[in-house]
Amino acid sequence: MTLSIDQYAQLSRWRERPVLEKALLAIGMLLLAISLPPLPGAPCIIVCVLGVTLLDARVPLRLWLRHAVIPAGFLLTAGLTMLFDIGRHGLSLAPAGLSTVGGLLLRSCAGICCLLLLALTTPVTDILAGLRRIGLPREIAEISLLMYRLVFLLLDTASAMHIAQAARLGQRNRKQQLRSLGLLLANLFPRTMDRAGRMENGLAARGWNGEFMVLRRTQPLSPLRLTWTSLLLGSVLLVGSLFS
Amino acid sequence: MHIMEGYLPAKHCLAWYTVSAPFFAAGVWRIRKILAERPQARMNLAAAGAFAFVLSALKMPSVTGSCSHPTGTGFGAVVFGPAVMAVLGAMVLLFQALLLAHGGLTTLGANLFSMAIVGPWVSYGLWKLCQRLGWSVAVSMFLAAALGDLATYVTTSIQLALAYPDPVGGFMTAAIKFGGIFALTQVPLAIAEGMLTVVVMDALAGKVADIRKVSMLAGETR
Repeated sequence: MTLSIDQYAQLSRWRERPVLEKALLAIGMLLLAISLPPLPGAPCIIVCVLGVTLLDARVPLRLWLRHAVIPAGFLLTAGLTMLFDIGRHGLSLAPAGLSTVGGLLLRSCAGICCLLLLALTTPVTDILAGLRRIGLPREIAEISLLMYRLVFLLLDTASAMHIAQAARLGQRNRKQQLRSLGLLLANLFPRTMDRAGRMENGLAARGWNGEFMVLRRTQPLSPLRLTWTSLLLGSVLLVGSLFS
Repeated sequence: MHIMEGYLPAKHCLAWYTVSAPFFAAGVWRIRKILAERPQARMNLAAAGAFAFVLSALKMPSVTGSCSHPTGTGFGAVVFGPAVMAVLGAMVLLFQALLLAHGGLTTLGANLFSMAIVGPWVSYGLWKLCQRLGWSVAVSMFLAAALGDLATYVTTSIQLALAYPDPVGGFMTAAIKFGGIFALTQVPLAIAEGMLTVVVMDALAGKVADIRKVSMLAGETR
C-alpha cells in the first residue's frame, strides 16, 4: 500500500534537488504567510507557490486539489464559528467577522500551498536528513526513519485485515464496524511489536550501531536557484509589508 | 482534531512551540535513557510511532455518522507512558503533515501540546486514579481514552480562542463558541474512541494474562 503524497514525492521532478533549496522556498513562504498581514501577502504567496508547484515542479493539478481540500472541513467549521455571534438576541453576524474570516481563509490557503509544495517534492527521508543536520537528536532521527519504514508494512497488514473482515461481513453495521476495528488494532499491535523485535534481531546480527548510512543522490546547490528563491521571498516580503 | 496549516498567527505558533519544547526535551531525555540501557527498545519505539500513524490513517465509525480516525492518545499513554508520548506524538504529527497533509508545520507546536501532551497526561492520570480506586479495567480504560480525547479537544478550542478572541465577548465567549461547535463532532468521537480502546484492550487481554500488564506487550519501552 502506498500513500499518494509519498509516492508522488519520490517520483517528483524536484526529487534530486537539495532539500535546502526546496525548504528555503516552501518554509520561507510559509513563515511569510503567517507573519505578514493576509492582504496583500497571502494572494502573492498563493500565486507564487502555486505557480512554482504546478509549472516548475509539474505537480498534476488533480493530485494537488485532492490533498488541498482535506483541511476544508476544519476551515469551514472554525470560519463559521467566527462569522456568527451568539448573544442575547440569538444568532447574529459578528461585527468585523467577515474581514477576519476572509483574511484567515486566505492565509490558511497560502499555508496549505506551501505545505503541499514541500510535501509533494520532498520525501520524508530527505526532510529527516535535513532536520538531523539542524540539530534533531540522532536517536530521534533514527527512530523516525525506522518508523517511516514500518508505516508501509503496517498499512499493508492493516488493509489486508480490513479486506478479510469486510469479506466476512465485518463492516455490516456500525456496531460491527467498531468491533472489527477494535479487533484489527488489537491484532495489529502485538504483530507490530513482534515484527519490530525480529527486525531488531536481524539488524543486530548485521552489526547495526544505530545509524543508517544511506546513499543519497542529490544535485549540488545551485546558486542561481538560491538567488531566484531569495529574490522571490524578498519581493513578497516587500509587497506584503509595504501595501498592507 | 488538528489545527490546520496557516491558521494560527506567527506569535501563537512560536508560543506553542515554546510551551511544548520542555515536554519534548524531557521525552528525548527519557528515550535516551531507555536506549542507553536497552538499545533494542529503539525498534519498539519506532513500531509504536508507526502504529499510531497507521491508526490515524484508519477510519473509525462514529455515533453521528461522520467518520473520523482514532487518535490512540489514551491507548498510547497507558501503554507507553505520557513522557515518551510527547516525542512519539511529535513524530506522528510531522508524518501526518508531510504524508497526509493533515495538520501543519507551523501549527505543529500547538497540535503537539493538545494531542501529545495534554491528552496523554489526562488519560494517564485518569487511568492511574481509576486503578487506585479499584475500578474495572473496561471502565478505567473507557474514561481514560474518552476524557483524554475530550481534554485534547478542549485544549484545541482554547488555543483557537486565544488566537481569535471574540471582538465583543473576548476570550471566554470565543472559547465557548469554538468548544460548542466542535463538541458536535468531538464528543461522539471521544465516546467512540473510548469504546474502541475498550474493545482493543479486551482483545489484547486474550494475549496477556493480566490486562494491567498490557504494557509488557510494548516490550521494553517503559
